[in-house]
Amino acid sequence: MIAAVGFSLSHFQAMTLFALLISIAFGFLSRRRTNERVKYIIWSLFLFLLIGVGIGWAMYPFSR
Amino acid sequence: MPDETTTDSTTAPVGVTQEPEHHQRNEALAFAIGAAGWLVPGLGHALQKMWGRALGCFLTVGALVILGVGMRGNVFSSEGGDAFGMLGYLADLGTGSFYFAARALEPQGSDVAHAEGDYGTRFLAAAGVLNLLAALHAYEAARGRKA
Repeated sequence: MIAAVGFSLSHFQAMTLFALLISIAFGFLSRRRTNERVKYIIWSLFLFLLIGVGIGWAMYPFSR
Repeated sequence: MPDETTTDSTTAPVGVTQEPEHHQRNEALAFAIGAAGWLVPGLGHALQKMWGRALGCFLTVGALVILGVGMRGNVFSSEGGDAFGMLGYLADLGTGSFYFAARALEPQGSDVAHAEGDYGTRFLAAAGVLNLLAALHAYEAARGRKA
């Protein structure tokens, strides 16, 4: 059904979506207040993306 | 003078003798809440009226499963064969009822020959592990730990 429709995502889109969803889940589980959750989600998402892109660039010299 | 450190069960206060039974009941209830949280993502928190967390768990785990299936990730079965297949199966099974939904939603099977399918496999495994974490959180909250 859903697989028949399919999602076509680039590497970056897949990473961003993954980071966003995990950050939201962590934010909701680990913080109680709404403003604390929002801060945690934004900070966690930023770190996910920063580290993901950083590791990507670190591997770049060895990819060819 | 009586020794205060040794307490006979026959002379102990009523509340003290009943405590282990009460504790056991609470432990069983907490375990049931944890199991409910595993079976249906977010249910463990919903039973404790933690609506925000319940909704957050349900939506994030659900979205990860839908995206994983949509990207044609591998939904592992118990007949995986090797250790990695078994680990993948355990991780996927962490989504509880969503595991069976994922299998039903992916009748054409996985396509890990492309990067998308590989990402989908990770999405599904992450959904399972995340749901296990949420179920453990619900269990701990039911036991009275700070959550």
